[in-house]
Amino acid sequence: MSPTKTFGLLALALVVALVAGVAFGAVAVSPVEIFGAIGRAVAGAERSSADAIVIDVRLPRVLLAALVGACLASAGVLYQALFRNALADPYILGISSGAGLGAVLVLAATTGATAMRYGAVPAGAFAGAAATMALVVRLASFRGRLDTTSLLLAGIAISYTLAALTSFVMVFAREQMSAVVFWMMGGLTSASWEYVAAVTPMFVLGMVVPVASTRALNLMLLGDERAGQLGVPVERFKLIVLAAGSLLVAAAVSVSGLIGFVGLMTPHMVRLVLGPDHRTLVPASVLAGAVLMVLADLVARTVLAPVEIPVGIVTALAGGPFFVWLLVRQELGR
Amino acid sequence: MNAAARPTPAPGPAAPALAWRDAAVGYGDHAVLHGVDLTICPGEFVGLVGANGAGKSTLLRAVTGEAVLLGGSLDVCGVPADELSAPQRARLVGVVPQALPELFSFSAREFVLMGRHAHLGRFERADAQHAAVADRAMELTDTGRLANERVDTLSGGDLQRLTLAQALAQEPHVLLLDEPTSHLDLNHRVQVLDLVSELADGGMAVLGVFHDLDLAARYSDRLAVIADGGIAASGPPREVITSTMLRDVFAVRAVVGTDAISGGVTVTPVIRESVGVAQATGPEVFVIGGSGAAADLIRRLALAGFRVSTGALNMGDTDQAVADVLGLQRVDLAPFEEMDESDERRVGELAARADVRVVCDVPFGRSNVGNLRAVVKAGGPLVLVGEVSGERDFAGGEGLALLERAVALGATTVRDVAEALGAIEQLAPAATREEPRAR
Repeated sequence: MSPTKTFGLLALALVVALVAGVAFGAVAVSPVEIFGAIGRAVAGAERSSADAIVIDVRLPRVLLAALVGACLASAGVLYQALFRNALADPYILGISSGAGLGAVLVLAATTGATAMRYGAVPAGAFAGAAATMALVVRLASFRGRLDTTSLLLAGIAISYTLAALTSFVMVFAREQMSAVVFWMMGGLTSASWEYVAAVTPMFVLGMVVPVASTRALNLMLLGDERAGQLGVPVERFKLIVLAAGSLLVAAAVSVSGLIGFVGLMTPHMVRLVLGPDHRTLVPASVLAGAVLMVLADLVARTVLAPVEIPVGIVTALAGGPFFVWLLVRQELGR
Repeated sequence: MNAAARPTPAPGPAAPALAWRDAAVGYGDHAVLHGVDLTICPGEFVGLVGANGAGKSTLLRAVTGEAVLLGGSLDVCGVPADELSAPQRARLVGVVPQALPELFSFSAREFVLMGRHAHLGRFERADAQHAAVADRAMELTDTGRLANERVDTLSGGDLQRLTLAQALAQEPHVLLLDEPTSHLDLNHRVQVLDLVSELADGGMAVLGVFHDLDLAARYSDRLAVIADGGIAASGPPREVITSTMLRDVFAVRAVVGTDAISGGVTVTPVIRESVGVAQATGPEVFVIGGSGAAADLIRRLALAGFRVSTGALNMGDTDQAVADVLGLQRVDLAPFEEMDESDERRVGELAARADVRVVCDVPFGRSNVGNLRAVVKAGGPLVLVGEVSGERDFAGGEGLALLERAVALGATTVRDVAEALGAIEQLAPAATREEPRAR
């Protein structure tokens, strides 16, 4: 499929998914009503209760889902280029464990003040993620060089340590166990315009790197040494890529917990269709990640309504078999 | 900052393309090479040779910044290497590495266009002008027909030529080659090196690591030998490639000859130094050869731990060259010189001293029949290789008569070198034998 055609289809899919995401739920809203509600909100007219569902509940939720999906998919693109491995996951360096520990610490510390959690949990998760990445990069840097193997090993070591600490904290905050577990499973239940406003600038900032260095990302696929020979300042570039990827993951994780497989699957699927060129891979992955996430969240909200499943379960249930399929395909291809 | 907007230092006509001055190069704070003084001018093709792990690639990596300059200086086109930004360096220096890691499925054309990276601004697209440079590079390297193939499906040879095309798309002033022909068949090896030679004639400076000494000698204007943590020798190939250098640097005893067609230097390894020819303590075997008839046998005897001596051989003869690099006891004759009485007497002494004597499948004429006379006279165990017939006699019947006499005296006749080895093993007194040394 040509890149232009793919972009067109993905953009269309995103619009359809967003509209569907707003339309379906406990109360169904028709597309006409949706656009009417948006029009009235923009015009500042008085809102009906149906308008409130659209504007205050569903719209921020689907937009946040789209942002989180786009963040995770772009981070996946960056990590996969950095590790020169189409199966690298944005959580591979322990950022998820760091965010988890941050969130759990906040949850344990705010047992008496649950109202505070709305802002404090994302902040704690983001701080945990950022601190983890700084630590992993520091550990893996040797004589001014960032070795990707050391990076992986440091990431795994830190990841296990932080996971153990998280479990340790949970032992002492047993009454918070369900809140913690629910957070870890990933979900968009607390979506709000404030969250959208918090994530958007981080998404924009993080996207500067993949958008502005598509060619350099292509060169990184030829290996650090070759990329350097062809004019990429490799060591600096790796740090920048890592920082941007981590910012995108941290932004997503802080508002939605640990949603697996989107960051891994999306770039991989796009690559199967469009090839490895980042000039098309980056924009297509952003769109595809957003579509996947909005749809996954829609499924999570509606399939067992009124019970809402954490969206992380939906993505993992879809992602696991997808990976098995990839594996089988690869084996058969041999 | 826009990479392409940065000015590339203009290489002055006087500036050497690459100049190491008293340079120490290594990784971290460990120097692999010390005191390197090497200058490569535009238009020069310099070959780097040396044993595995000697630091040839390290010297190249100093240019691309993957190895660290720990002392002295390195200038690239007149600019200190560490003052060049990555894109600036990529506009001056192209590299053809030994191998690339696992590749993603870019098309060959996209792959070659990646060489234009340092010439493009951040958001600039490769226009027709850049595409033309890439196309020209593919044409030169005979990879044009691969343009739409996926690089991850190509053979090692195609990929190596595409990598060269990618490097040429950089339009570099300096080309660094690390074993540039390791994956290439004979045809493409010649093609690629002819191309690189032409580029050098056109003013490009070329520094290439070679393991094939014949190729290195044939294409390089100069050779630099890396050994013992520095440049052990440097100069025209014929001056640098000597049997002494091959023994010191590669621990191989080799015959250095002249290629009949190109007039270049040829290197034929005979035996590894570690076999310890000089320290052999096995039975002594005396060999009569000439014109290469004995070279293989001599080599295999030396490998098996025998001490070997030879009859009279003319200088420039293949057998003489082999005996010479192995340092065997022998009688040397000037080219085309005939044996005289004193030569025959000395041959007789060597033959008499040996435990076993071998006469290889050589014809005998007036110039060398003295060898045969001396060996038959010496007596003792004797092995004759080849047919005993008049066809080998160019000495008016004396050669055939001597061979027949030897047979009558109980000489073992064998058909070839392999059988000769077997016969020698049987005839050699067991008491003086020891286990063959490790090869």
